[in-house]
Amino acid sequence: MDIRTLSSIKSKFVARQVAEELVIVPLSGNVAQMNELFTLNETGKFIWENVSEDKTATQISALMTAEFDIDEQTAQRDVETFLTQMDLLEKYNH
Amino acid sequence: MNQFGFEFNIAIAEIVLHVFSKKAIELEDGYVPFLVDKSKTADIEVECFQGLPEVDFDALKLLFDAKNEEQRFYSIYEVAEGYCFVLFDQQTKDEIQQIAYLNAAFDNWKIHSRNAMALKYPMGPIIMHYLTLLTDAVLMHASCAFDGKKGRLFSGFSGAGKSTMSMIWANAGSQIINDDRLVIRKMDNQFFVYNTPMYYVDISKKAPLSAIYLISHFPENKAKKLSGALAVSKVMAFCIQNNFDKSFINKRLEFFADLCSTTPIYELGFVPNESVVTYITENEKQG
Repeated sequence: MDIRTLSSIKSKFVARQVAEELVIVPLSGNVAQMNELFTLNETGKFIWENVSEDKTATQISALMTAEFDIDEQTAQRDVETFLTQMDLLEKYNH
Repeated sequence: MNQFGFEFNIAIAEIVLHVFSKKAIELEDGYVPFLVDKSKTADIEVECFQGLPEVDFDALKLLFDAKNEEQRFYSIYEVAEGYCFVLFDQQTKDEIQQIAYLNAAFDNWKIHSRNAMALKYPMGPIIMHYLTLLTDAVLMHASCAFDGKKGRLFSGFSGAGKSTMSMIWANAGSQIINDDRLVIRKMDNQFFVYNTPMYYVDISKKAPLSAIYLISHFPENKAKKLSGALAVSKVMAFCIQNNFDKSFINKRLEFFADLCSTTPIYELGFVPNESVVTYITENEKQG
């Protein structure tokens, strides 16, 4: 999933922090998706919370290097991995 | 089936519903043990009417559709005063059984029924779900066994063994609070489990909640403690929800975050015999 798509579907979820992680629950108009809840670890939580219309994946990677004291290459890989994992939310993009 | 006349009070999880009508109401037998004194102050008003009103559903915004490939259960539409529910007959499948209106404060229902059975399934469980939004409570697909000290709640997918687990604990001397659908409610800083009216007759019951087990059949008894976001997401998945409104989801998340921070949550693979009782009690002693 690209960062722009994720930004556009983010508003279709409700998120709540639990300890250092995040639970995200989709808004849903049917019972089929009733049991679909997702958890994000600390890294995923940081990326999710920073995804917005005006931020690129590169900008989020740069923020990660400062937040987690990691190099740019690692941060970029983490963002790419996260976006790939977010493909499972594609069905909420309607 | 019982004919109850024109006015009565029902208490579910200590929430009192005042049900009334100008015509006699028939109740499914499972509601009878939940009738309480008419003098009790009601939290929710439920006015019942016989006959279905004309409604132009095409002119309303559809919020939620409860249906699967085989069956339509109910649909929820947005109306000025709150929500309009359309419930379908579970035998004929497409025939409208009730049209019900719920106000935005969740404390006033107007139920129009095809006949005298105003609370006929799935109307009852829908009312129960929305009454939990009035307070610190949730409606769960779960069973619960109470041994006199501890209430152990067992939840899982259909076929995971909730009824089997109930039978095993009943044989070991525990009281079964319910083996399918129950309310968890926080009162005075403690979580309690309540049974709800079912298709069978059972007295109204309450137990303190001590632990939650998410169960599945397995070759051996094996428990794994869950915590944090994972515990919240796994337990909340078995809560009965209509997630078309962000405020509903926020309320549920807040409840489960609180519940999971104070109540032990386990994933439990179990062998369906009495060995699981010993395993659980020993496991709890070890923390």
